[in-house]
Amino acid sequence: MLTFKIQSWAAIAPDLIKEEDWKSWLLNRHPIAPLFGKDSLKQIPPLLRRRLTTLGKPALEVVLALGVEGECVPSVFSSRHGDTGLTLSLLEEMGKDEPMSPKGFTLAVHNAVAGLYTIFCKNTSNVTAISAMDGLVVNSILESVGQLQTAEKVLCVIYDMPLPELYRPFCSSLPFPYAVAVVLSRSQGEPYLLEQVHNKAIGTESNDEVDSLAFLSLLTGLTSEMVSKSNGGAWAIKKVAH
Amino acid sequence: MSELHKEIKKMIIDCLDLEDIDVEDINDDSPLFVEGLGLDSIDALEIGLMLQKKYGIKLESDSEATRQYFASVNSLVALVSSNRVN
Repeated sequence: MLTFKIQSWAAIAPDLIKEEDWKSWLLNRHPIAPLFGKDSLKQIPPLLRRRLTTLGKPALEVVLALGVEGECVPSVFSSRHGDTGLTLSLLEEMGKDEPMSPKGFTLAVHNAVAGLYTIFCKNTSNVTAISAMDGLVVNSILESVGQLQTAEKVLCVIYDMPLPELYRPFCSSLPFPYAVAVVLSRSQGEPYLLEQVHNKAIGTESNDEVDSLAFLSLLTGLTSEMVSKSNGGAWAIKKVAH
Repeated sequence: MSELHKEIKKMIIDCLDLEDIDVEDINDDSPLFVEGLGLDSIDALEIGLMLQKKYGIKLESDSEATRQYFASVNSLVALVSSNRVN
């Protein structure tokens, strides 16, 4: 069993910005817009914005909302699919024998968003970029708690966007872009624990869609526990009573 | 400002996503890199690619001449007007 604290968190999706927005939506899940509006995500300074794609903007919007960019906090950036849309457009350019966009190429790597963030805030701490098949949330928290053993705080960012049409028949994902950023701390905030549980008791395998929203239900206080089953194991993240 | 000056400024704004800058904000003879607009090496590569796609101009990536062409909008205009093939 591992214990940690959550000092602060922020999450964003089209139309869902404040904690109250998430709470009421999680209780009544109506369809939401598949893209952010043109006027959203304006917290990011213009020079950084122009380097970010539709995947990176929400991720850094929530990170900047936490206000830890002045501290050198190690970070874990997790996205199951990364910028698959951008990678596909680069492959299409190659297929047509056209020169590839240098900006597109640099941004298509999985640690691109983390790299832009750390350059922007001159953060020289460790950066980890995770792309977990299943159990993205649990793997991200596990990695972050691991890093908490040598750091006072760890920033964990989980973000994804819908796959391009071409890939959708092969994989599930939430039908809208979202990003969640959490500051895990050794000493400050709400106490949580992460532990392995007997997987025989748990029904079906989890997926990103279920796990990400279960994590948000936990953060907003709608639930006090989430369980994720993947790769033959099962893990629980629980809120610890004071 | 000539039509070509406008066209090149618009190209820079569009291909580098300078969404808060207008054509009028860019001076013809101000430096584009580090000072002035504050562009960097990835921007230079992106502009190089646009010159190739739009005007058919191919540049050596690390020659002194290329550095001079990228100094300002005026020098890019001079390059394009004397070398464009399309």
